Amino acid sequence: MSKWDAIVIGAGNGGLSAATTFAQAGKKTLLLEKHNVPGGFATSFRRGRFEFEASLHELCSFGSVPGMGNVRRIFEELGVYDKVEWCRIPDAYRMITLKDPENYDVTMPFGVAAFIDKMEQYVPGSRPSMTKLFALGEKMRDTGEFFGNIKGFDGKLVMDILQDHTDFIRVASYSSNEILKAVGVPKKARDIFNAYWCYLGEDTDTLSFVHYMGMVERYLSTGAVCAKGRSHEMSCAFQERFEELGGTVYFNSFVDRIVMKNGRAIGVHIAGRDEIEFADCIVCNSSPHNAIGKMIDPKDLPEMAVRKTNARKFAGRGFTMFLGLDKSPEELGVTNHCYMIYDTADTVYQRKSMNTIEGNNAQATCCLNLAVPGCSPEGTTIMYFTTLYTEDCWSKVKEEDYVKTKEYVANKMIDNFEKATGAKIRDAIEEIEIATPATYARYTDAPQGTIYGYNSEPWDGIVPRILMTGSDDLIPGLYFAGGYGTQLLGFGSAYTSGYQVANRIMKKQEKGERI
Amino acid sequence: MSKRKFVVKSGMIDLINFAKMIPERKAHLENGPLRRVPATYPINELAKLNHPGKMELCVSDIIVHSEDVKSYILKAENSNKKLAPFRAGQYLTVQLKIGNSLVTRPYSIASTPNDARKGFYNITVKRVPDGFVSGYILDNIKIGDKITAFSPEGTFVYEPIRDAKTVVGIAGGSGITPFLSLAGSIADGTCDADLVLLYGARTSKDLVFKAELDELGKNDKITVVYVLSDSKEKGYEKGFITAELIQKYAPETYSIFLCGPKAMYEFAGKEIEKLNIRKKFVRFELFTSASKASQIPGFPMDKDGLTFELTVRQFGKEKKITCLSNESILVALERAGIEAPARCRSGECGFCRSKLVSGDVFVPSNTDGRRIADIKFGYIHPCSTYPMSDIVIKID
Ligand SMILES: Cc1cc2nc3c(=O)[nH]c(=O)nc-3n(C[C@H](O)[C@H](O)[C@H](O)COP(=O)(O)OP(=O)(O)OC[C@H]3O[C@@H](n4cnc5c(N)ncnc54)[C@H](O)[C@@H]3O)c2cc1C
Ligand code: FES
Repeated sequence: MSKWDAIVIGAGNGGLSAATTFAQAGKKTLLLEKHNVPGGFATSFRRGRFEFEASLHELCSFGSVPGMGNVRRIFEELGVYDKVEWCRIPDAYRMITLKDPENYDVTMPFGVAAFIDKMEQYVPGSRPSMTKLFALGEKMRDTGEFFGNIKGFDGKLVMDILQDHTDFIRVASYSSNEILKAVGVPKKARDIFNAYWCYLGEDTDTLSFVHYMGMVERYLSTGAVCAKGRSHEMSCAFQERFEELGGTVYFNSFVDRIVMKNGRAIGVHIAGRDEIEFADCIVCNSSPHNAIGKMIDPKDLPEMAVRKTNARKFAGRGFTMFLGLDKSPEELGVTNHCYMIYDTADTVYQRKSMNTIEGNNAQATCCLNLAVPGCSPEGTTIMYFTTLYTEDCWSKVKEEDYVKTKEYVANKMIDNFEKATGAKIRDAIEEIEIATPATYARYTDAPQGTIYGYNSEPWDGIVPRILMTGSDDLIPGLYFAGGYGTQLLGFGSAYTSGYQVANRIMKKQEKGERI
Repeated sequence: MSKRKFVVKSGMIDLINFAKMIPERKAHLENGPLRRVPATYPINELAKLNHPGKMELCVSDIIVHSEDVKSYILKAENSNKKLAPFRAGQYLTVQLKIGNSLVTRPYSIASTPNDARKGFYNITVKRVPDGFVSGYILDNIKIGDKITAFSPEGTFVYEPIRDAKTVVGIAGGSGITPFLSLAGSIADGTCDADLVLLYGARTSKDLVFKAELDELGKNDKITVVYVLSDSKEKGYEKGFITAELIQKYAPETYSIFLCGPKAMYEFAGKEIEKLNIRKKFVRFELFTSASKASQIPGFPMDKDGLTFELTVRQFGKEKKITCLSNESILVALERAGIEAPARCRSGECGFCRSKLVSGDVFVPSNTDGRRIADIKFGYIHPCSTYPMSDIVIKID
């Protein structure tokens, strides 16, 4: 009866992969995007002679065969992989602390063996515990891959986990630091190992070990990539593939209402247009807070949908400074692709400091040229500096102070980078652009400018989310894809979540269940 | 380790802790507060204030500088609504229905950011001979008329982190408007920069805003130099804005901001080259309106003056219109009354980005502002693309 088999609201990473998964299965799919480009945060923009990457630092789970990461498998299965020109990220990370008594300045390589070797150099005696840790990590990866390939949720899943993933079960409820300590990793090695924590936005006393280890292990064992044409290339590739498969995309189409009937989501209304688009199911790539808070008439909302939504806490609100510099990386003294710069390696202290604009001195800084040579004209460099705010502190900034506050943070990031690395970048700035939580809020309509979905609260970590996959649905006929989903934040997770949710819906349909 | 089972606390406790995860999460979710989920948040409201999309404005006053130059004071139609804040140097894009055409044109905001906080913008329109919109505005728009405009955009702004402390502004014709805003915001303390403004015109009569600029020039941080090309008058520089003239008034380090008509752009561009300053210290705003495409270097002359069929797809519907090889695809859309997204009309902003489904086009390289992947996947910016055959585009 419906015009469409599926409607996907939002062409972010989760929406693109969900829509393409539907289209590949022959479903008549409509993808709606409020912007005039696909990708959501996965995009790029131009200033002067530079094209900036808007968000991606590195995409993991992207190893070459064998040991294929599951994200790559999704790209291949959906026929998107070959449409993108991929570039390898050279090294894992360099962590520098500004005030830590240990004065860290460590550069860590990709490759588990190389990583352990390097760690032994920095922390003599760390080898046995690190080796043990990575052996455990490998098992987590197997479990992770297993989760990554789950196409639907059923009772058999729990049985499989209980049988084949016992190590996973034992560590699953613990934080990263709890396990690191249990394995006997020395403090200094823990500090170095934890450096990626800000990519997941939660301190390592809270962050699930499975989550953190899973990510680190995937990065180190299979390396990481990015697209030559920025993440906009990935987004365009997805869109092109979706359309090749018969899918329909409308840009400049802002969904302002999800139409309900008898408690079911049955269609959507696009702002400024007359007709309603009906579908058998709707996948929303926008936040559940938006769907429940403003797209659905409150009288149509079941109590449980409201409670479940209100129970969640937003993760980090984004801030990024983009610089186009008129000197080469060598001239600037920029030698690494990815810098993690903190006050201290104490992740609990550091994360706490990120609740105010003044206190926040954490930054993940990338130099695109070291991953994508030639990404900017000869003798120039592209860099971007990202941080997160763990509270909604930007909402206190008055409109008339907004530009000055942006500049304040930007200056701090430049100073901290120069202080940490000795590189000289300030005088070479040819283009600058600054994205604040307000920018992110505008760009994707993300509540409070959140770029990381729902926070990994101690009770809301990756393990229980995945295990509860089906029971998180809020409204019949309405599903979610993207960073607010089971796999939490990140490009890979968002792609995976869209792929999984589309498959889950189709599996239900096959079984004759109501979707 | 692979054989031996890994234990964290004890075999039993680990299992219990694992088993507790689902019920614990379930309880948290089900006990979430029963209150309305917010429909919006302060940050999202700030974002909406900054970028409201379409704004309904009305003309509250018109200042007649001459038959050919008028300033329009625009206020929010709904007086309770705040105007979108902007940064000195940005522009508004007005949308007008003229006959059957639905057109857009960018106009730099001549008033200051603080004026917007007080509730008004000023845009100043200068007649372009044979122009389509400027003349219409000058001859038809009256006080009380409603005007639709899109939120302020543009990157022709002073960035203290990037730019030198002193801006040498080079202005000609209507290109004075962004500098009036910049000077105003320096004078009221919102912008911390020094401005040396070299303002070129034919005669002193052609200097718009002279009284305002004279007043602003009394500020220590602002120097205004009038440069007249066609008449020798006391107190004015005579000639064109040359490298020597810039050096005469500029301090040791400075950023050049240039905004003006095409002729000035071309002349001053060459002069600036002589100064041999880093790209980072030179910024342009392309102010010129669409000239005939066949005058653009690289235009395939065998296609001059041809008419083609343009098939337009939007939201699942299809429409066939005609287009001319000499006019941008955006103009063809507007002429046909199709609401096509556009802001800067100079290839830069990307708002008009559309899929070229089939057909050949000419994209002048100096206004090709497309992203790498857009070129790869067959997208164009219709405002700066010309049809070279029958074409099909998707503009939604
Ligand atoms: C960033 C920026 C800021 C600017 N700021 C200012 C400013 O502050 N003050 C100012 O005066 N100017 C400003 N301009 C220039 C301004 O936007 C216009 O280009 C200028 O007013 C001339 O417009 P016009 O329509 O009169 O002329 P043109 O743009 O030259 O008009 C002719 C165009 O209209 C098309 N056309 C002809 N007939 C039709 C029809 N029936 N339907 C649709 N299209 C048709 C033609 O093909 C041609 O492209 C700015 C430009 C830019 C890019
Ligand atoms: S309108 Fe700005 S690029 Fe076309």
